[in-house]
Amino acid sequence: MTEAVSFQQEFKVKGGDFSRGGEASCEIKNLLRDLGLDPQLVRRAAIACYEAEMNIIMYAWQGQLDLLVTPHRIRIIAEDKGPGIADIKQAMREGYSTATPEMRELGFGAGMGLANIKKNTDTFRITSKVGRGTRLELTIKTNGRKA
Amino acid sequence: MNKENRHPLHINTKKCVGCVHCMTSCPTKAIRIRDGKARIIGEFCIDCGECLRFCPQDAIDSHTTSFSDLNAFKYKVAIPATVLYGQFDNATLPNEILFALRRVGFDSIYELSTICELNSAATEKFLNSHPRPRPFIASTCPVVVRLIQRRYPTLIDLIVPIEPPREIAAKILRANLPRVLKVKPSDIGIIHITPCPAKMVSINYPVSMEKSYLDGAISIRDIYKPVLQALRQSKDEAIMSRLFPETIFSGLGLGTALSGGETRGLKNRRTVAVSGIQDTIRVLNQVEMGMLRDVDLLECMVCPDGCVGGPLAVENRFMAKSRILRLVSLLGERSVVDDSDTNALYQKNFMSFTHSLKPVKATPLDADPVRAIQKAKHRNRIIKQLPGKDCGACGAPDCRTLADDIIRGLALLTDCPFMMKEKK
Repeated sequence: MTEAVSFQQEFKVKGGDFSRGGEASCEIKNLLRDLGLDPQLVRRAAIACYEAEMNIIMYAWQGQLDLLVTPHRIRIIAEDKGPGIADIKQAMREGYSTATPEMRELGFGAGMGLANIKKNTDTFRITSKVGRGTRLELTIKTNGRKA
Repeated sequence: MNKENRHPLHINTKKCVGCVHCMTSCPTKAIRIRDGKARIIGEFCIDCGECLRFCPQDAIDSHTTSFSDLNAFKYKVAIPATVLYGQFDNATLPNEILFALRRVGFDSIYELSTICELNSAATEKFLNSHPRPRPFIASTCPVVVRLIQRRYPTLIDLIVPIEPPREIAAKILRANLPRVLKVKPSDIGIIHITPCPAKMVSINYPVSMEKSYLDGAISIRDIYKPVLQALRQSKDEAIMSRLFPETIFSGLGLGTALSGGETRGLKNRRTVAVSGIQDTIRVLNQVEMGMLRDVDLLECMVCPDGCVGGPLAVENRFMAKSRILRLVSLLGERSVVDDSDTNALYQKNFMSFTHSLKPVKATPLDADPVRAIQKAKHRNRIIKQLPGKDCGACGAPDCRTLADDIIRGLALLTDCPFMMKEKK
């Protein structure tokens, strides 16, 4: 019954727009905080969102984060139009990265992104089509929330 | 107790004209205009003093210690912030300023740069013995500590649990002065001289210790004129102070008045120094997102260029900075604090926090999760309705905050002049 109550919001992310990188995740973080969720939970969601957002900015042409909050969970769908990932297994490995030297100079591309997202979420699903784009579906359970 | 009274910044309603400058400059959106006057919401205020900086009417008072308050103590001790040395002309040396403070009415003056160096050395020891987590965040700026408690609760454990130089200095004096001077402890008043309104809160309502070792803080603004007069009247003393310097100054410590000063002493460490409230917020956001993990120490100062840009300083920060840099280069990089002294105090935990920092929880939209979600949806609908001009005419700093206030029952949609128009 209470699952029917949900908050949904989309955040557009533009590929290559490094200067605004992190803005969507920051907004999501503030929103989750306003909802009264446990700070550690908010931080996990924020880190996952941030990594997903930066992946879109670094690799894709355009994309969006779609946030859905119900009383029991946070769901984030990060979907992009981009080059896609040929070998997802390899991309999931810590330390593996296809980041360019320019990206690394900015402090990105340590190859921790996807692994870090997985670490900070309760469910993690990734699908990708080469040449088309990537879709991440993440959830974090909020049942354990402290009022 | 009324929570508002905890804060040193107060609106002077006689001078306030209800313009929007303070409200729009407030980084935590803690100001509203109600009935034509600005009001500070105590729950959100972090005592940074941005409002004081931006108010064109001089209508924001900072309640710091006044001279008459000093009369409560038989023996008055001053610990001036090193920023003070940058406030007077180039020819005025720190020793003369310390002499002048004595003329102003202090019985003794303790110079802080040595303790600043001690604090840096202790921080280095802390970093050495704590390889993880990263980055640690310096605790010197009391506003940063308060900001983290309220906005970044998950970063609390990253704050270096070492008291700032002013408290360490006062603690050393408390432990020794009664014996040295043969004065009752309660007769001794130890007063910090500061460019920062937040020091008053950190003294009256400390978060990392039971009770502050300081008895108050006088603003540089308030003490500037008497010190200037004393400097002018005491030319002979000035010569004496130059010929018989009483104190050793630490070049390393003196630099802590400037952004990057704390990290400068840490030679083999990766450090980042940030100054200014907006940039501090930006970088703390990044830390919360898991960045800067390869940085050992993050120094954040909410005033532009560090304490030298404090809102209660008199001299513009560029001049003050130039003078302090000159002093730093004159004094050189030579260390004046003995490593064995640092070690001894560090081992005794003399400089450590005695209370662990606690997060200050923000009020959610609603305590009930279902209702909170409903309210967030409602808030988004209101945001869409509002003009998005962020004009401040409603009494809130921007449309988003007005929407938030409406949801929390603190404002009405009709407070927005554009909404009024539509109704007609």
